[in-house]
Amino acid sequence: MTELSALWLRVAALLYSLGLIHAFRTVVQGRATMFRWALLGLRVGAVFHFVAVVEEGLLTGHFPANTVYETISLWALLMAVVYLLAHWRYQLETLSVALFPLIFMMTMMSALGRPVGAWSSETVRNVWLTIHVVLVLLGYAAFLLTAVGALAYLFQERELKRKRPQAFYYRLPPLGTLDEVISRSMGVGFVLITISIVVAATWAFVEVGTHWIRDPKIAISLATWVIYLLMVFLRVSAGWRGRKAAVMALTALGSSAVTWVAHVGLRSDWVR
Amino acid sequence: MKLWITGLSHKTAPVEVRERLAIAEPAVPGALKLLKSRPAVSEALILSTCNRVEWYVVTDEEGEPREAIQGFLRETRLADPEDLQPYLYEFSGRDAVHHVFRVASSLDSMVLGEPQILGQLKTAYALAKAHGGIAGTLDVVMTRAFNVAKRVRSETGIGQMAVSVSYAAVELARKIFGSLQGRSVLLIGAGKMSELAARHLRRAGASAIFVTNRTYERALEMAKVFQGVALDYAGLLEFLPRMDMVVTSTGSASYILSRADMQQVISARRNRPVFLIDIAVPRNIDPAVNQLDNVYLYDIDDLQEVVNSNLRERQKEARRAEELVEEEVGRLMQRLNAQAVAPTIVSLQEQLEQIRRAEIERLRGKLGPLTPQQQEALEALTRGIVNKIAHGPISELRRRAGDPEGSHVIDAIRRVFHLE
Repeated sequence: MTELSALWLRVAALLYSLGLIHAFRTVVQGRATMFRWALLGLRVGAVFHFVAVVEEGLLTGHFPANTVYETISLWALLMAVVYLLAHWRYQLETLSVALFPLIFMMTMMSALGRPVGAWSSETVRNVWLTIHVVLVLLGYAAFLLTAVGALAYLFQERELKRKRPQAFYYRLPPLGTLDEVISRSMGVGFVLITISIVVAATWAFVEVGTHWIRDPKIAISLATWVIYLLMVFLRVSAGWRGRKAAVMALTALGSSAVTWVAHVGLRSDWVR
Repeated sequence: MKLWITGLSHKTAPVEVRERLAIAEPAVPGALKLLKSRPAVSEALILSTCNRVEWYVVTDEEGEPREAIQGFLRETRLADPEDLQPYLYEFSGRDAVHHVFRVASSLDSMVLGEPQILGQLKTAYALAKAHGGIAGTLDVVMTRAFNVAKRVRSETGIGQMAVSVSYAAVELARKIFGSLQGRSVLLIGAGKMSELAARHLRRAGASAIFVTNRTYERALEMAKVFQGVALDYAGLLEFLPRMDMVVTSTGSASYILSRADMQQVISARRNRPVFLIDIAVPRNIDPAVNQLDNVYLYDIDDLQEVVNSNLRERQKEARRAEELVEEEVGRLMQRLNAQAVAPTIVSLQEQLEQIRRAEIERLRGKLGPLTPQQQEALEALTRGIVNKIAHGPISELRRRAGDPEGSHVIDAIRRVFHLE
């Protein structure tokens, strides 16, 4: 990836991060208060992104979908443009919770396509990696709480539907309370995991250059993140509760476990 | 000191007997005075509620508490004790304490765990206290009973589950929404039951009450009764999505809400739960509505079923409460018995000390002048002998406190040492 193109991509990612913060606030606080800023960020970001893609194509002399990074970048730009057009026509504010983080994440990743030789201090890199691990573990803890809450919700809901109160009815908290616990822990978990992925990607970028993105284990972790994103989005937009939410929370927790197993010892594999 | 209770309750006597014996609150002081004036009675209390009438007396050891109460009944001409006999229960000593604790904790109530009985018992206690009926034993027993009742209430769930249909509705609402603060309620049609449910829901925090009816004038009237807002029935499906709880009680012969209607409502609510209470007969809401996710529909039978489950749950809790009461009775009896042997121990010690002093005085002349050291040694010697002798009987007295057979031993010790 050319140097100038990578610079414009980073600017675009920075602008798109407004969209990420918008999604965070919507998920954690349940209010969409900064959608307008996020939309502005997307519009301006898309312009820089377009410039980056065109420049990449002109300077390399081929259609800019040659490397993994170029492809992701192009894909993110298309999504941003399609969303802007659709929003202009249909007012799709709710979709932003799912799409803005996705566009940001893809652009951020593609901006890592050109290695730089910074961060020579090993201590700094180790601390950075530790931050990633701590954030992931906190995120998993939050998702565990989500899953437990979702299961309790499932049992309480069944009891209320069957109309024959038994042990669960008397001992489990009300649905409303469980709903609140699920929403909060899910939102916080999503924020923690997203930040930790950004941290991890920059670490990998500095530590091992660009080849890490082709490791299938990375695909596993990104797939897990997408599951979280979907879960959070369906809850915020469609209010998925009960059975659906429980199944989703358990899926997310299961894929987290797989990701965790896949990632243990990943560093020594790469830095050999 | 002998504690005695004679009484009758909904479990032993029909209402025609209970009503004859019930004493209205203003008449209680007079009755208390009569009861206390019976021979040997030192304390008295009268509990009179619509489900039970009980007379509590404390007499000295030689008194006849049962005679005292029967004499009182004869004197007040409330009833002939002979006719009454099949309806009465009688408790004394430990059993009486156990009974008071059970009554205070609402374990003997018609509706298990209902809270009124404790208040009624407290009133009876206050009345007895104000008119000189309480001194010592009853004071200890009653105050303890109030504490036990409090403990039972906080440590078991006996008073927690709703036992009336309208409260069951509120309880279900709480199980669905958590807090009812700021929730909206819509009443479709009016009726005594929906009025009751609405009142309970409002008291539980539901802020916005809306009413609607096929005739708008009627809706306006209802709005006045419930301090709510009248809505036009024609727009039902438009404002339904804004309602968290809906109570229906119209005389409509067919369903006023179908499954398709509610499907629409729930997606307009973006799956936020809604609680439908259908107390109309014939029913107003298609039962198939309950199959929709996040819709909770309860008809009058369902609510009754919840009440039945709650009663069963209360019975489970009552078993735990009984254990707790048993434990508390044991503890109080131990305390009371220790109090009962305390005077004997004190008089035994006084008696021995008196003998010791008298013997020293008697021998003083024969010993001649003593140095302070010798004086001290003499004191220590005699005191040591007395303490060693007293140790056996005193520990036996303490050990026998609370043992029903122990009174013989206590009597024997009193006689052996010439204690009065």
